[in-house]
Amino acid sequence: MKRRSFIQNSLALGSLVGADLLLPHLAFAASPVKVGLMIPMSGPAGLFGPSSKNCGELAVAEINARGGLAGRPIELIISDAGVPPAEASQGALKLWKGQQVEAFVGMHDSAVRGALVGVFKGQVPYIYTSTYEGGECSPGTQVLAETPTQQLEPVIPWLSKERKLKNWYLIGNDYNWPRDTNAKAKQYIASAGGKVVGEEYLPFTTDNFDANLAKIKASGADAVLITLVGGASVGFNRAFASFGLADKVTRLGTLIEENTLGGIGMQNAANLYSSSGYFASIDTPAAIDFAKRYGAKFGAQAPALNALAQSVYDGFLLLEAMAKKSGSMDPKKMETAAEGIRFSSPRGDTTMHQRHGKKDIYLAKAEGNGFKVVKVFKQVDAGKNCKA
Amino acid sequence: MDSSTITLLLNLFYHVLVLSLVALGLGMVFGMLGVMNMAQGEFLTLGAYAMVVAQRMQIAAGWGILLAILVTATLGYLIERWLVRPLQTRPLDTLLATWGLSLLVRKGIEAVFGRQYQNITQQIGGSTQIFFVDYPSYRLALMLAIVCGLLMLGLWYKHSTAGTRLKASVANPVLAQAIGIDVKRQACMAFVCGVACTGLAGALLAPLVRVEPLMGMDYLLGSFFVLVVGGLGSLSGLFAGAGIIGSTQVLVSTMLDQTYGYLAVLTLSIGFLWLRPHGLLSNR
Amino acid sequence: MAYFQTAKQAASLLTLALCLVAVPFVTNDFRAYQLGTYLLYGVVAQGVALVWGRLGFLPLGQALFFGLGAYVAGLLLIHAQDNALLYLLLPLSILVPALLAYLVARLVFAGQYVSGPDFSLITLALTMLGAQLANQFTGLTGGFNGLANIPQLGDLDRYSSMYFLIVALVLFSTALLSWLYQTPLGTLWLAISQNENRLQFFGFATDKLKAGAFALSAALAGSAGFLYAAQQGLVTPQAIGFQLSAELVIWTAVGGRFGPYGALLGAVGIGLLSSDLREIWVHWEVLVALLFIAVVLYFPGGMAHLLLNAYQFINRRSGTHVPAYAVAPKTPGLRAPPIQSCGGDCGPVHLRFDNVSVQRNEVSILNGLSLAVEHAGVYCLIGPNGAGKTSSFNVLTGRLARTSGDIFLDNQRVTGHRADVMARAGVGRKFQIPSVFNGLSVTDNLRIALWSNRAQARQLLESTSRQWRTDMLDFLENTFTFLADQADKPAGELSQGQRQMLELSMTLLAEPRLLLLDEPCAGLSTAETQQQIEVIVQAVSRLGSTALVIEHDMAAVQRLSNEVFVLHQGQLLANGTLKQMQDSPLVQAVYAGGQK
Repeated sequence: MKRRSFIQNSLALGSLVGADLLLPHLAFAASPVKVGLMIPMSGPAGLFGPSSKNCGELAVAEINARGGLAGRPIELIISDAGVPPAEASQGALKLWKGQQVEAFVGMHDSAVRGALVGVFKGQVPYIYTSTYEGGECSPGTQVLAETPTQQLEPVIPWLSKERKLKNWYLIGNDYNWPRDTNAKAKQYIASAGGKVVGEEYLPFTTDNFDANLAKIKASGADAVLITLVGGASVGFNRAFASFGLADKVTRLGTLIEENTLGGIGMQNAANLYSSSGYFASIDTPAAIDFAKRYGAKFGAQAPALNALAQSVYDGFLLLEAMAKKSGSMDPKKMETAAEGIRFSSPRGDTTMHQRHGKKDIYLAKAEGNGFKVVKVFKQVDAGKNCKA
Repeated sequence: MDSSTITLLLNLFYHVLVLSLVALGLGMVFGMLGVMNMAQGEFLTLGAYAMVVAQRMQIAAGWGILLAILVTATLGYLIERWLVRPLQTRPLDTLLATWGLSLLVRKGIEAVFGRQYQNITQQIGGSTQIFFVDYPSYRLALMLAIVCGLLMLGLWYKHSTAGTRLKASVANPVLAQAIGIDVKRQACMAFVCGVACTGLAGALLAPLVRVEPLMGMDYLLGSFFVLVVGGLGSLSGLFAGAGIIGSTQVLVSTMLDQTYGYLAVLTLSIGFLWLRPHGLLSNR
Repeated sequence: MAYFQTAKQAASLLTLALCLVAVPFVTNDFRAYQLGTYLLYGVVAQGVALVWGRLGFLPLGQALFFGLGAYVAGLLLIHAQDNALLYLLLPLSILVPALLAYLVARLVFAGQYVSGPDFSLITLALTMLGAQLANQFTGLTGGFNGLANIPQLGDLDRYSSMYFLIVALVLFSTALLSWLYQTPLGTLWLAISQNENRLQFFGFATDKLKAGAFALSAALAGSAGFLYAAQQGLVTPQAIGFQLSAELVIWTAVGGRFGPYGALLGAVGIGLLSSDLREIWVHWEVLVALLFIAVVLYFPGGMAHLLLNAYQFINRRSGTHVPAYAVAPKTPGLRAPPIQSCGGDCGPVHLRFDNVSVQRNEVSILNGLSLAVEHAGVYCLIGPNGAGKTSSFNVLTGRLARTSGDIFLDNQRVTGHRADVMARAGVGRKFQIPSVFNGLSVTDNLRIALWSNRAQARQLLESTSRQWRTDMLDFLENTFTFLADQADKPAGELSQGQRQMLELSMTLLAEPRLLLLDEPCAGLSTAETQQQIEVIVQAVSRLGSTALVIEHDMAAVQRLSNEVFVLHQGQLLANGTLKQMQDSPLVQAVYAGGQK
């Protein structure tokens, strides 16, 4: 063999061998998968924006360290879901069609969810993570959000027995989440042997709750189920306590998280209970470790952890599990893969069934300088939401 | 009279007095000077946040109130000089410029304090027995303070020379200037007092309501409606407006529900704006 | 009839059309879809610019009409899938907002002659009411989540071909508004914003004009809402609430409220840009707020005005002169149609005050004033200050409410009739302090007077009406030469004396049968006074009208008229010839006349 051809052949063979060795690394340097995160950065829910963004970034960093989604690193793109639904859906469309986003995680209100579902039409995987009223069955959508069934079915009987509650007053803002929640709550109250002595829905603009407090007092209620949101929840609870009702009447809320409690003030939070999938003060090893990692990445002055923000983290965990099971980001494969998935998160274990997540529910009482978990309900089913 | 009726009356009285307190500042600024200050609500927010600062620095609430007045008065002076005075002859443009200003103030508060809710503790806690019912003590103290404050203000305005000078400047600025009253200074002082009053209202209300950067807007709109119903330019007009709007809101909310209460207030305001655009008791 | 007064307008529209149509080809379908939404907001903003920039009252709740149109169209489109007849009802999405707007404006503006903040606050309260109702009636509107699953409009795919329908609407509304602005109606609109009070005295029912314009703005908003519902497929209460209304005002202010292009520029420029930049730069909203304040303080015409000034500046530098106002070509003129009120053969006017009293608190402004005028000619009203001379004019023309007594014009009771009603009955008035349209040119001021009581609705939309001339106009231009020499000058830049003469001319051009002149020579030099008096005497005799002149200068009184009414303390003290009055001891006791 001539020397030149030998060298040529060796080089060729060498590069082939080298390429073989390098191939797994090249495979990991595959194109990143863009994931869109829709969170409220402005508007009334804008105060959850920073903490949600942090949880999203934390999740993405950790998932990428583990290999990403089906071997591809995540590129996180955030869009403001605190704007009116028309603008929010335009933002989502821009990410999806304009920037080739391949999956969405959303933590926002139902109006925006409705708009997004109308835009996506099942053609892109969409994971919805904040507390909501139940009943979302659109194709392509997976719902990690707690439903009223989860938050109340085990909680109301337990709390009724614990605090000897008989007469319930239901108060919420006037839109579908409070109304659907109360519809379910009435069933659970009845089966726990209780009675509903009042029900009222307030416009978002209400800031004087004296009339409601007078009615609560007059009705002889010993329990109030609160489905007020945002500033109304803060204002109502403060006034509630100032009228001296807190000692005689137990309050239970399904959307009272750390920020709202901060606004209410511990001095006004006697006998205030909150039912949620997560609290920053949960003391399981997973939750404590999560809080530590969050603090390490974002510092001690970072916006406080709360259920809404943490749900974003879980949303990404679900996405990771779906991608792993289906092996790709194909929407149809992801859809079929979702059923039955089980993953662990700072909240505990979650099992997906019929698009919804069976998970642990925590009942916490406002005590000391925050929420203290008093009871854990393990693996609570999300109830009947979809036909099949 | 049973306890729920007494509570209702106390609630009604409370709501009317709080509306008067909140709308007092706008009454001075809009009612007397004709300035549609869309940033008035933000002065209330600033007053509330002054209490946040006082609480964080762990000093007495009284200093917080003083800080509220100081901050709002200073900001009010700057605004009067640089924004309101140049636009004196263009009232709609004042509306727009102060609107832009309100956004800046909100963003500023957000930048310094963040968007989360703040919790101010009441200095006077618990409840007091009054007319056989238990009513929150802080509220009672506040109601008393407002009544005394308004009475003193009314007497001052009616009988003092400073009050007369102010009345003259408002009624006929050209003539007042001609007889030697410094109308510009009167207008400036009226504006500064107006926003400082709203700042004071914010500081006093802070323990009772939610405190966050966006809190001011609702108070602004409510104050406008109180003024247009009651009539601009007089204390009695302010009280009449607060009385009508406040009573309607409390009575309808109690007897029916809050939605009807809100609708009733809106409808009433529209009705007054249409049929009596100068309000019930107007000086104009 | 020229559709566009200047070729410039046609060129602007064509440029706009080309730019908009090119967008999906130059960028992509999604960009066009996004632009489409903001173009629709721009159409609504054009309505805001019409009402605010042209007519001078600020609507703080325009989203009410937009959202109403969107909800109506959405509901119809959804149900039309089952019942195709409902497609025919789609124009309701335009008519319902327009009717509501007209109703509201008529009710609010009835009897007013100056726009106050109450209208703005009413529109604000209405939009808040609309948002609450939209939130509440979930069965009809879908409540908080909104009206969803609205189908596309026919075959127009909302992500591609729908854009062109939106562009068509934008071009239509821009063309319509541009055209209307340069019709006589457009001049009347400007006049309303400058001096609504004065315009009423020319017989124009300004409340109807304002309501009509407001209804037009609502119709534009409703049609934008219709296309919005079809394009988005979802209508939520935010489309009808205060937040969007506020943004519309901001976009109009920053873009430029004096023309339709400015409003579009604002909505697209600020609105679209905001949605892009808001996420990239956290402080974008602060910049918009600062920009907004700067515009309000220093550039009330907005960005459009800045751009126009820049364009004119460049043109001036390059030598091409761009006139500041759209000037009609000088034509020989058309004969104006005759006056509406009487057709010219009514005979002299009969005016009678019958024991008219006006009490305000404890002050008697008029105290049983009774006087009668039967023949044509000039009569003077004299008396000391506070005698009630101007008040008698005010009570006659509906500016002062009487407590008791009656006023009769041609034996018809006219007590309490509004100013514009009296003007249409042939009563013309000239104010003591000259009240003209300061922002309009001298020619436009005269034109408004010519249209008074002459122009029918159709003629107000024709630009030929600008060319009307009458014999009276020829006479006045010969006497007051500045009317022709300084025809393009804004009336506000005239001297005080010239404004007096201008206002007198305007009052005369309307050819009233009863002329009320309140100190027509106030502020004039001796020579000007002479001229003014001559004009009054000659004009009144030409018209065969009756004139009541309030005067203090006895020489003027002598020249003007033989018959004099002396008023004192709200009553008629005496009447007769000037000589009789000067000799009367009663009159001498209460009134010492003076010479200029």
